[in-house]
Amino acid sequence: MSDAPLILCADDDPDILALLALRLEGAGFRVVQAVDGEQALALARELRPSIAVLDVMMPRLMGVDVLKALRADPSTRDLRVILVSARAQQSDIESGLAAGADAYLAKPFQASDLIGVVRGFLDS
Amino acid sequence: MRVGSSAEVVELVTTPLGEGFRGRGGMALPTRVSTVFASVGAVAIGVYFMLGFDGKALWYVVIGLGSVGAIFVGARRLERGRTAWYLFGFGLLFSVAADAVSGYYEVFRDREPPVPSSADVLYLTTYPVLIAGIVLLLRELGVHRSRVAVLDSVIVTVAVGIVQWVFFVEPYAHSSLRTVTRIVGISYPTMDLLLLVALSQLLLGVGSRTVAYQLLIVAVVLWVVGDEIFGLSVDNYAAGGWVDMFWLGSYVFWGAAALDSSAAHEAPRDRRAVPRLTIRRLALLAGALLTPPVVLVIEHEWPQHNIHPVSIAIGGVLLALLVVVRFAGLVRAVEGARAAERAANNRLRELDRLKDEFVATISHELRTPLTSISGYVELVRERADAESSGYLDVVERNAARLLVLVNDLLLVARIQSGQLDIDLGGTVEVGSLVSESVASAQPHAAGANVALRLRSGTGPVRVRGDRRRLAQVLDNLISNAIKFSPNGGAVDLSLERHDGTVVLEIADQGIGIADNERGRLFDRFFRASSALDRQIPGTGLGLYISRAIVEAHGGRIEARSVEGEGSVFVVELSIDR
Repeated sequence: MSDAPLILCADDDPDILALLALRLEGAGFRVVQAVDGEQALALARELRPSIAVLDVMMPRLMGVDVLKALRADPSTRDLRVILVSARAQQSDIESGLAAGADAYLAKPFQASDLIGVVRGFLDS
Repeated sequence: MRVGSSAEVVELVTTPLGEGFRGRGGMALPTRVSTVFASVGAVAIGVYFMLGFDGKALWYVVIGLGSVGAIFVGARRLERGRTAWYLFGFGLLFSVAADAVSGYYEVFRDREPPVPSSADVLYLTTYPVLIAGIVLLLRELGVHRSRVAVLDSVIVTVAVGIVQWVFFVEPYAHSSLRTVTRIVGISYPTMDLLLLVALSQLLLGVGSRTVAYQLLIVAVVLWVVGDEIFGLSVDNYAAGGWVDMFWLGSYVFWGAAALDSSAAHEAPRDRRAVPRLTIRRLALLAGALLTPPVVLVIEHEWPQHNIHPVSIAIGGVLLALLVVVRFAGLVRAVEGARAAERAANNRLRELDRLKDEFVATISHELRTPLTSISGYVELVRERADAESSGYLDVVERNAARLLVLVNDLLLVARIQSGQLDIDLGGTVEVGSLVSESVASAQPHAAGANVALRLRSGTGPVRVRGDRRRLAQVLDNLISNAIKFSPNGGAVDLSLERHDGTVVLEIADQGIGIADNERGRLFDRFFRASSALDRQIPGTGLGLYISRAIVEAHGGRIEARSVEGEGSVFVVELSIDR
């Protein structure tokens, strides 16, 4: 279990955060949870996870800002980032991808979709 | 004729309002009393012209007294505004007294009364009393007191003043008569000037729509016309001449006005702060502005008076300045209104922006709990038995429905603010798009026992546009067709190519749409009454969204229907070459 890939999940909604963790742990990954953007950034720098799943609308630091900070830092530049948001307009998705996200999932999403994307990144 | 026709109008208006002209002492006046009075008056005037000299003098006083009596009778029954009519009665009583004095001179002294005489004192007392009556009446009618209304009155006063000065005052002012005679001679046209200004207010006001006040206006006009003709031909005037017709007519109309039942009604009040620039008001102002040149032309063609060009020039300049001020005010008011409109538009745009932000936030806030609901339902389902799984289906279906609604509302908000995000850069093959939509709707159709059939005669057809959005239109139209179909019915789709365009028709055998509702079918939140009657669920957003998407693609969507037999929705898009 300890050698399973580590996934960072960040969402300010505790129910959704718990759901993400449940689903990813159920799929055999290790999960570390953050409740806001600042914590997510700190954990990403400290723990070097394989993948980060970030909610876009978070207090203190928005998901997109965390993403930009990760991309600006050489040590975390290559971290795979999946943005998750209830803002699902075409324009939201485009701006998320333009900021450097590897994938953008609109809420509500199916657990299988999320796990599929995560597996896809880990395999490549 | 005039009186007869207005009396008919009165009858129409007043018959159901008998209460309105019932007198204080229980005295009721028949509706036609004013017509009868005017007819008798007309006959009396006719008789006047057939009488001898002495008879005329007496008869003149009799007609006058008859009118004064009519005015007092009419005034007594009024609930309000009685003072004005009493003033008319007393004013005319002075005039009749003056007529009696004149008659006395003519019959017993065999000459016109001297100037000045007690007749002049009585006549000149008549005017202020009548004018006071009109002013009171105007107050009763809610006359305008705004700057504009005052300005209009001043303009009319100046114009009438020019006429009175040139034709009536100036000849007296520069004559060699005694000072007292000159003052008396000038007093009449001056009083007429005031009477005319009061009359103009009556004409412009709402009072002119009431029969009683129309009769009153005629009375005042006849009075002033009589005065003016007399003033122009004072040397040729002989008692009993045709000019008397005007004053006698004025008496009769004044009495008829007082007796008319409409005088008792609440006149429609004009509550506007500033009077409207009606055609009548405009005509009056234009007439006023044209007074100086017209006076000059008249004096040039028929020179009778020693006119003073400077006085006309001064009057003309004054008029021009007043009219400029009047219209400058109007233009500035319009500009002010425009500025206010611009400010209001900016505020609306800001509100629109806030609304968009609000909708986006609300949509986000709604999707977040929906994410939890469907996520955890999915989780529980994996461990649920068959019965619980059925219940979870219900939760999931409703969560999905809620999500569709949230998405639709967000889309509507975007359409409203012109921010519908559609990617027109792509190319869409319509045939495959339609087959996919039909295929994905098959389970729904089967569940409703509706046959879903596609006939395509086009081969591959490409259009420019957003595949996801166009699919949304098709899904929507197909699901509508299924929803409104009877059990065992059929939905037929056909795809055809017409020069340059591809036409998709979706025909159902459903309840149809009423003719008078077809125009509003694509309106936001509109639901056909046939759908409401049958309690077919829906939000009234689908067709609105579909139209917005089709039109954003430069296409056309329309509905044909025969109520009870079914509907056909037609989508037409341009083929990409």
